[in-house]
Amino acid sequence: MIVAHVRGHHTRPEEIDEHARASWLGGLDARAKIAGTVAFVVATALLTRTELVLASLMLSVSFAAVSRVPYRHLMRMYLGALPFILIASVSVFMFAGFWRGMDMWARTSSCVIALLVLASGTETFELFSGLRGLKVPRLVSTLLTLTYRYILILGDELGRMRTARRARGFRGGRSLLDSRGLRVISSTAGMVFVRAAGRAENGYEALRARGFRSDMRPMRTSRLKAADLAFMAWFACVSSLLVALQLGAVP
Amino acid sequence: MHIPDGLMDPMVAGLGWVEFAAVAAVAIYLSGKKVRDKDLPRIAVLCAGIFVAQMLNFPVGGGTTGHLIGGALLAIMVGPVVAIVGMTVILLIQALMFGDGGLTAFGLNAVNMAVIAPLMGWGVYSMLKPLLSRGEAPSGKAFTPGEAFAIGAGAWASVFVAACACAAELAVSHAISDGAYGIAATVSVPAMLGYHAVIGIGEAIITVGVAAYVLTVSPGMFEAGAARPRASPGLRGVLSSRVAQATVAIIIAFALALPLYFIYSSEGADGLEKTMEDAAVSEGEPLLTSPFSYGETYFAALFAGMLGFVAVALAGLGLMKALRAGKTAE
Repeated sequence: MIVAHVRGHHTRPEEIDEHARASWLGGLDARAKIAGTVAFVVATALLTRTELVLASLMLSVSFAAVSRVPYRHLMRMYLGALPFILIASVSVFMFAGFWRGMDMWARTSSCVIALLVLASGTETFELFSGLRGLKVPRLVSTLLTLTYRYILILGDELGRMRTARRARGFRGGRSLLDSRGLRVISSTAGMVFVRAAGRAENGYEALRARGFRSDMRPMRTSRLKAADLAFMAWFACVSSLLVALQLGAVP
Repeated sequence: MHIPDGLMDPMVAGLGWVEFAAVAAVAIYLSGKKVRDKDLPRIAVLCAGIFVAQMLNFPVGGGTTGHLIGGALLAIMVGPVVAIVGMTVILLIQALMFGDGGLTAFGLNAVNMAVIAPLMGWGVYSMLKPLLSRGEAPSGKAFTPGEAFAIGAGAWASVFVAACACAAELAVSHAISDGAYGIAATVSVPAMLGYHAVIGIGEAIITVGVAAYVLTVSPGMFEAGAARPRASPGLRGVLSSRVAQATVAIIIAFALALPLYFIYSSEGADGLEKTMEDAAVSEGEPLLTSPFSYGETYFAALFAGMLGFVAVALAGLGLMKALRAGKTAE
C-alpha cells in the first residue's frame, strides 16, 4: 500500500481523491475552483479589520462545512500547517497585542482552510489539469504531474527504509555532532535518490509506450457549466465585498 | 521557512510575485531549450527525491530537529536553471496539496526557496570548487576534501541567505504595515538567522553525505560531473566560464533583495541616523568623499552592489591565489 508521509501529514493518496469524489466540489471544473479560491485567498490576505478577518474565517469554515469533505480529514491537514500559522500569530501576539495576534491567526487560518478544501475537494490530477487549463507553462504542469506520481512511490520507499532502520536500532541521532547518526540519514536520503534514478529510466520507457511526447495532456477536457460559473460568481462577489468593506467603499 | 497566506504585507507579497514571475519566465524558457523529453522523468524523479528527503528530519540538539531544503543539492545535480523550475514544482505541490505556504505568499516562498537557495548554493559551490579542489579524490572517497567543503559551503549559504531574505521580508512587512502584517525585525532577524545558521550546518553535512553517496553509486546523476563545453574565445568564453556564471547567480540572488531595501529605507531613518537624531548630534564634514554612492534608484544601487561584489570577489580570489603561490614556493 502506498502511503505518503508529507512533513507530518500521513495520508493515503487514494483517500485524498476519495474525499474529492464524495464532495459535490468534485463535480465542478478544476479551473473554476482554482480561480474562485484564489480570489477569496487574495481578498482575505488584504484584510486588516478584525471583524472582516473573522467574517472571512467564518466563510472559510462554512465553505468547509458545506463541501462535505470530512472534517476529521481537514482537521488533520490543518494541524499539519498549524506550526507555520502559530509561529506567525504568537510572535505578533507577543509584540503587537492580543487582537493583532488574533487577526493574524484568523487571516492565515481562513486562507489555509480554503486551500485545503480546494485540494481535498478536487482529484489531484484534475487539479493539475486545471492549472494547465489556466495557462501554467507546459514544462511546469508536466513536471507537477510526474513529480507527484514519484513522490507517492518514493514516500512509500522512504517509509520502508525508516522501518528497516528502526528495526536495526537507529533512533534518529542525538545532535549535529552525532556523526554516525548524520551518516545514516545522509545514506538514507542518498539511497532515495539512487532508487529514484533507477525508476526514472523505467518510467520514461513506460511513458513512451503510452504515447508520451513531452507533454502530459489531461484525459478529458470540459467546458465551464452553469454550476462552475455560479461557483466563481459567488466567490467573486464575496471577495469583492470583503475588499470593498476593508477599503471603506461600502459604509 | 514556508510563509502562509495573510502573514505578509500585500505590497511585499506582490513584490515577491513580480520577482518570481520574472525569474521563473527566464528559467522556464532556458530549461525548455535545455531539457529533452528523455530528461523529464529524471528531473521529476529528482524533484520527488528532494520532496521526500525534506521529510527526513536530522537532529539539531536539545531535542529539536531540522529538515533538508535541498535547493543547493538539486542545483548541483541538475544545474541552477532547471533547479529553479524543479523547486517551484515542489513548492507548488506543498502549497496546493498540503497547505504548506500560501498562494499570495507563493511568490515570496518561491523567491526564497526556489530561486535564492539554488542560485546561492550553486554559485558558492561553483566559485569555491576550482579554488579548493585540485587533483584526484583519495581512493575510496567520492571527491576531494576541497570539493566536499565547496558543496557544504554552498548548502549552508543557500539556507542562510534564503533565511536572511525571509527575515527581511517579515521585518519589512511589519515596518510598512505598522505592525498589521509581518514580524518585527527584533524578533524575525535573530530568530531566523540564528536558527538557520545552525540548520544550515545540518543541511551542509547531509548535502555532502548525499552527494558522496550518489557520486559513488550513480555518478551520472550529477550535472557537475558532466563534460563541460570547450572554452571559446572572447566574451562568449567569459560568459561560458563556470566562475562567471556563478558570479551572475550570486548577483541575481542579492539583486532580488534590493527592492525590499528600498521599500524599507523609504519608511524611515536607519538605526544610527535615528540614534543621532534622538541625541541631537549632527553629521560633520567628511574627511574623504568617495567617488561612488549607493544611488537613489534600484538600478543605481544594483550597479553599486555589483561593483562591490565583483571587487570583493576579485580581492578574495587574488588573496587565495597569492596564498596558493606562497605554498607552492615553499
